[in-house]
Amino acid sequence: MTKVLYFKGRVLLEGRAKGEALVSRRAFTFAHGVEPSTGVVTDVRSDLLGESVREKVLFFPFGKGSTTGAAWFLETVRVGNGPAAVLTQTAETMVVTGAVLGEMLYGRRIPVMTDFPSTMADVVRTGDLVTVETKDRQVTVSRGE
Amino acid sequence: MYLSPEQERTLSGERGEAKELAMTILAKVGEALGADSLVPIKSAHVLAHYSSLHEAGIEVLEKFSSSGGRFAVPTTVDPASVDLENWKSFGIPEEYAEKQFRLCAAFAKLGGIPCWSCAQYQVCNFPKAGETVAWAESNSVVFANSLIGCRTNKITSGLDIACAITGLTPRFGMLLDENRRARVAFRSTIDRPTDLDYRSLGYYIGRHSGSRVPGLDGLPRNVSSDELKHLGAAAAAAGPVTMIHYVGITPGSESLKSASGGERVETFDVGRKELGEVEADLNQSEEKPDLVALGVPHLSATELGQLAKLLDGKKVKRGTRMYAYTSSQAFDFVKRSGVMLEIERSGARLTHSTDAEISPLKKLGFDVVMTNSAKLAEIVSSEGEVKIRYKQIAEIVEEVTS
Repeated sequence: MTKVLYFKGRVLLEGRAKGEALVSRRAFTFAHGVEPSTGVVTDVRSDLLGESVREKVLFFPFGKGSTTGAAWFLETVRVGNGPAAVLTQTAETMVVTGAVLGEMLYGRRIPVMTDFPSTMADVVRTGDLVTVETKDRQVTVSRGE
Repeated sequence: MYLSPEQERTLSGERGEAKELAMTILAKVGEALGADSLVPIKSAHVLAHYSSLHEAGIEVLEKFSSSGGRFAVPTTVDPASVDLENWKSFGIPEEYAEKQFRLCAAFAKLGGIPCWSCAQYQVCNFPKAGETVAWAESNSVVFANSLIGCRTNKITSGLDIACAITGLTPRFGMLLDENRRARVAFRSTIDRPTDLDYRSLGYYIGRHSGSRVPGLDGLPRNVSSDELKHLGAAAAAAGPVTMIHYVGITPGSESLKSASGGERVETFDVGRKELGEVEADLNQSEEKPDLVALGVPHLSATELGQLAKLLDGKKVKRGTRMYAYTSSQAFDFVKRSGVMLEIERSGARLTHSTDAEISPLKKLGFDVVMTNSAKLAEIVSSEGEVKIRYKQIAEIVEEVTS
């Protein structure tokens, strides 16, 4: 039986996406933390170490680290290893900027939403199927059980 | 987000392609971040180093420079990925340097001030209290908000160039009074902190503040701006910190109460045990280092003078290199003053216009890097290619020199 959950957030960049959830409980950075050429998380302090962000619906609470984050995000998008969508608890400038440039330069639209409750990470698990639809500010999470 | 009629005209392309592109970025990012308007800035500080910008970043900068873009305000730049003068002697591959030079050329064409430093506030970009600026480089942002008393958000790459080209920045976050108040506090119980203690303390604060603006009490009266530079850099590397209210130092923060706007905030004591946890976390190895890297952020001329004293009469042991990273300005100064000769007599080398965390350490053959920089330790270990030894400067000198 499939369990379905719904979350509302604030839309930072519009779009729709579908993908597997990749959920971090810690501060996250693309800068020096994700290798653009593979999309794999290299940050040893990330709980997603070794996971690929490619085509995933990435959830993390807030950002950290170097302000080069947008450039790392953009390069990841340029080579086709970008996430399908990014969801956060606190708005993250670097992802937003990287995603805006990604659409302007490479025509790839990555929806970004924020203001999700911190408890979302307790409920959504890595591997859940997530649909992001910014038109109704909604994230739908389905899990086969 | 409100756009003035002039900003609307820029957005529709009436002020040229580069300004249109910049305004599009500002409008979209500003809107996404909940900014209500765009406000003028006095200066910008941007990023243009290849190791982070990659091919995509070169494309962004060249798109601006080839479409007639010019910076509208004085614009300084963070370090490059190579020593722009002596890169060959540091073993940088030609094709790698070429990528950096493309970024340098685009930056020059845009009319930037070529200071290539992450401590630009110590050498080439001097705002005054109350001004609004748009600075990239997280350590500079903390320094600007906490010590100078000017206002800036942490401006990420891409947005930085858009701010510099338009002379505007989205009004949100740290530009607003209500977001600048301390919402958590730390009290240092460390008696006479060492170089490493200041960095570990900053790191601890960055780790435990979450998205709240921290206050910090309990620092010695004689703490130097260089020490606070490293503390702030460590905090910003460890978490989303953009300002620290140093009680008794930060303009308007004479007490914790004034820092928090009168609100009571959760307060944590930070002592030897907490700093020990940071050291244990950042120190990943006990192996012999191939490289000692000092200066993330850039060392000032004062700090280079202190280093010369520590290295006096000593020789760096075979098998280990010691590089001190600094700005071109401090480099020139210590070259003339004789301090450079004193440092290099030990076998250590000075390098300028670049910094360790953005240079290709692994490509240059370094596997174990020893440093007293928590920022370098955090970034390098994030990448997972190079092992870090995190020690205080006295211990480093003791171990790697004879």
